[in-house]
Amino acid sequence: MKEEALTLPAPRFFIGPEDVREASADAALTAAEAGPKIITRQLDFYYGENQALFDNNLEVARQMVTAIIGPSGCGKSTHIRVYNRIYELYGDQRATGEVFLDGRNILDPSQDLMELRRRVGMIFQAPTPFPMSVFDNVAFGLKMHYRLSRGELADRVEEALDGAALWDEVKDQLHRPGTALSGGQQQRLCIARAIAVEPEVLLMDEPTSAIDPIATAKIEDLINTLKSRYTMVIVTHNMQQAARVSDFTAFFYQGRIVEFGPTTQIFTNPTKKQTEQYITGRFG
Amino acid sequence: MFRKNMARFKNDGINPQGGAGQRPAPPGLRARPGFAPVRGDAVFRLLTIVGSLLIPLLVAGILAELVWYSLPAIKQFGFGFLIFQSWNPVTQEFGAASSIFGTLVSTLIAMLLAVPLSLAVALFLVELAPPAVSRVVGTLIELLAAIPSIIYGMWGLFIFAPFMSDYLQPALGKTLGFLPLFQGPPMGIGMLTAGIILAFMILPFICAITRDVFLLVPRPVRESAFGMGATTWEVTRKVIIPYGLVGIIGACFLGLGRALGETMAVTFVIGNAHRISASLFAPGNTIASTLANEFAEATGTLYVSSLIELGLVLFLITYVVQIISQILVRRLYRAWSVGL
Amino acid sequence: MKRRRPTGRRLLNLLVSGFAAGAAGLGILVLVWILAGVVQRGVGALSPAFFTHLPAPPGIPEAGLGNAIVGTLVLTLAATALAVPLGLLAGVYLAEFGQDSRLADNSRFSANVLMGMPSIIIGVFAYALVVLPLGHFSGYAGIVALAIIMLPVVARTAEDMIRLVPNTLREAGLALGAPRWKVTLSILFRAAKAGLVTGILLAIARVSGETAPLLFTALNSPYWMHSLGEPCPNLTVTIFNYAMSPYTDWQQMAWGGSLLITFGVLALTLLTRFSLREKAR
Repeated sequence: MKEEALTLPAPRFFIGPEDVREASADAALTAAEAGPKIITRQLDFYYGENQALFDNNLEVARQMVTAIIGPSGCGKSTHIRVYNRIYELYGDQRATGEVFLDGRNILDPSQDLMELRRRVGMIFQAPTPFPMSVFDNVAFGLKMHYRLSRGELADRVEEALDGAALWDEVKDQLHRPGTALSGGQQQRLCIARAIAVEPEVLLMDEPTSAIDPIATAKIEDLINTLKSRYTMVIVTHNMQQAARVSDFTAFFYQGRIVEFGPTTQIFTNPTKKQTEQYITGRFG
Repeated sequence: MFRKNMARFKNDGINPQGGAGQRPAPPGLRARPGFAPVRGDAVFRLLTIVGSLLIPLLVAGILAELVWYSLPAIKQFGFGFLIFQSWNPVTQEFGAASSIFGTLVSTLIAMLLAVPLSLAVALFLVELAPPAVSRVVGTLIELLAAIPSIIYGMWGLFIFAPFMSDYLQPALGKTLGFLPLFQGPPMGIGMLTAGIILAFMILPFICAITRDVFLLVPRPVRESAFGMGATTWEVTRKVIIPYGLVGIIGACFLGLGRALGETMAVTFVIGNAHRISASLFAPGNTIASTLANEFAEATGTLYVSSLIELGLVLFLITYVVQIISQILVRRLYRAWSVGL
Repeated sequence: MKRRRPTGRRLLNLLVSGFAAGAAGLGILVLVWILAGVVQRGVGALSPAFFTHLPAPPGIPEAGLGNAIVGTLVLTLAATALAVPLGLLAGVYLAEFGQDSRLADNSRFSANVLMGMPSIIIGVFAYALVVLPLGHFSGYAGIVALAIIMLPVVARTAEDMIRLVPNTLREAGLALGAPRWKVTLSILFRAAKAGLVTGILLAIARVSGETAPLLFTALNSPYWMHSLGEPCPNLTVTIFNYAMSPYTDWQQMAWGGSLLITFGVLALTLLTRFSLREKAR
């Protein structure tokens, strides 16, 4: 697949048709042939007694960026946290339904969680560098999941940092603590850490809301580069961002998926009234 | 206990940045000199100052009294006091070596046992146990701290020491008896027994703070680590413990301070012999146990003064350990590292 | 890249988890072992005579520790009466007037030092302060020693609890024209009452089981207490003396006393724990 150099439009504060990109034709074809990467069927989610997600049905396209938008508390983060079953850290949270990753239901108890989490990486809203050096941060997952010699490890770390557009900035500081980097750099470090273990899916939960605008632009740039290799799902409350980086968009409201479709269609010609109201800023 | 610890350490003396800045000074509080709308207020304020002043005065007073009454012994023995082994009221020769040795060794044994156990219990309570179990077990462990020292002593002397002499010491003698540490008759009472009992006495203190340390790691950091596909132990070892290492070390110092000063439990089971032995099965003594056993009947200025000098040594050691522990644990509650 | 098989990692995780559960189990085992031992050996000693009779030489039946029980109660209550007002005043200063002044910082630091100090050292201090000038052991010395132990606990708890009272209450009181001391005593104390009581109970629990500070201050006595100016009977030193003796009936009585102390202290501790939880909610 050829990589296109995409230029970001200058940040503006309202959406018009000229802000929205067309998904590249090649990518759309690949996705259509191989089928969706993740298929969610009748997903319900409960925090204790309270139901948070109602009958979610979604198809996440392969090697595309799918954005998830909606007002606060509508279930966006809850939904993607099912994809790596991170919610299972908390005893009172549970999910029912089916989520197929390449045809296998990952909600099945027989699913190997450690392997699932290698294949499905997650980036959080606040950057989460571990209390160790930059090098060790990236090597964290590599040492767990792979058997590598010292030389191989160093190569893979460099590759991952390069892939996260961070190598040039940290190559002389690999042994400084990860926490010594700036916010934007920390977030890219987390991305490097995630892609080092060769995931197939990257989940991003509002990855730039805690970052300054210049660093945000860099990360959005990075997202555009990464999508050629990974399937990406991005939760964002910033609609301009969704319009800038994603190919498909799902609009959530009160735990349900109200509308889903190509980003261009959602933003220029939504079919549901609620979607239109949200996009034009009537609520949320 | 978590909330209590949070509040206590936030308002602590060493770093004034803590809780004091959190709410604006209540109105009319910073009384300008001479400002007293009602005479009662000036008197009241004075009374509170007196109450507050009393505390540092007490600490200074304790140090002063200990030094003053140790002077005869200091003049007589000088620094040799710390290394003389003999302790003989008849010949008026007093040396602190065996007491200091016993204090350090029993504390060392206690720490070697308590620190890994405390970390393990904290891990269990925070990561492994379901919330209801964690609450119950947590309370039970905290109850270990509430049992008075003399009760540990009673249990130690009458119940645990026989267990040691009948089961544990013979077993250790058979397996590790080639080491001088585990040689000698299994009498039950002695250094090892004292150390083990001390370990369970300080376990709840180290555990409580370690638990708070684990709970302070931010959710996203923890989820990131699990999200990479790591096991619970890997997350704990590689992320959680390094994150809170300062606090954990502070907790250990806190436990250390308590172990050094424990009196009654140790007095019951250590055997009270003024000698230094290579074997952990042998009796010995600690500074605290010597004081407990001999102070009430000590006669003669030099004898009493030597005992008080022992107390001074203990005071100084405990004071230094206390300070270190406070500094370390304060850093924990001031949110160490990681972009906060 | 060559993949690593996860079985080793899983196994290690399982082993560590087992060790952690085992450690918790061990802690509980020791707790139960102690409590069971105390109950089993102490319950036989508890008879009406135990609470009402005086100690007697070993071998004489119907001896009791009535004087020691009363003595401990008196000493504890007297120490409380001494430490609580001073501690509350100190707490008020730390929370209301001093806050981050140097005196306040010093006080807080010293309070922590004092709380971490071995209680036997405090006993030595009380000996030097009270026993030496008076020339003999006395209940006063014991009370001073216990009060010194309680003081920092009461002060820090009072500070924490008073800080929790919202500013609006203070302002409301002052706005009515009430003087500072009245606002503090009538309004703040009442608002913080539950927490203050809890702190005081905790200090009492801690001090009622103490032996070391009494060993050479209040000493002990085989008679009913009739003056604080002389050695006072108390339960903890009696337990120590009886336990160390070679007489089985005295040892039995030591267990009886241990049972009383253990369950008194535990009951107080659990009470304060549950009321603190209620408050925190």
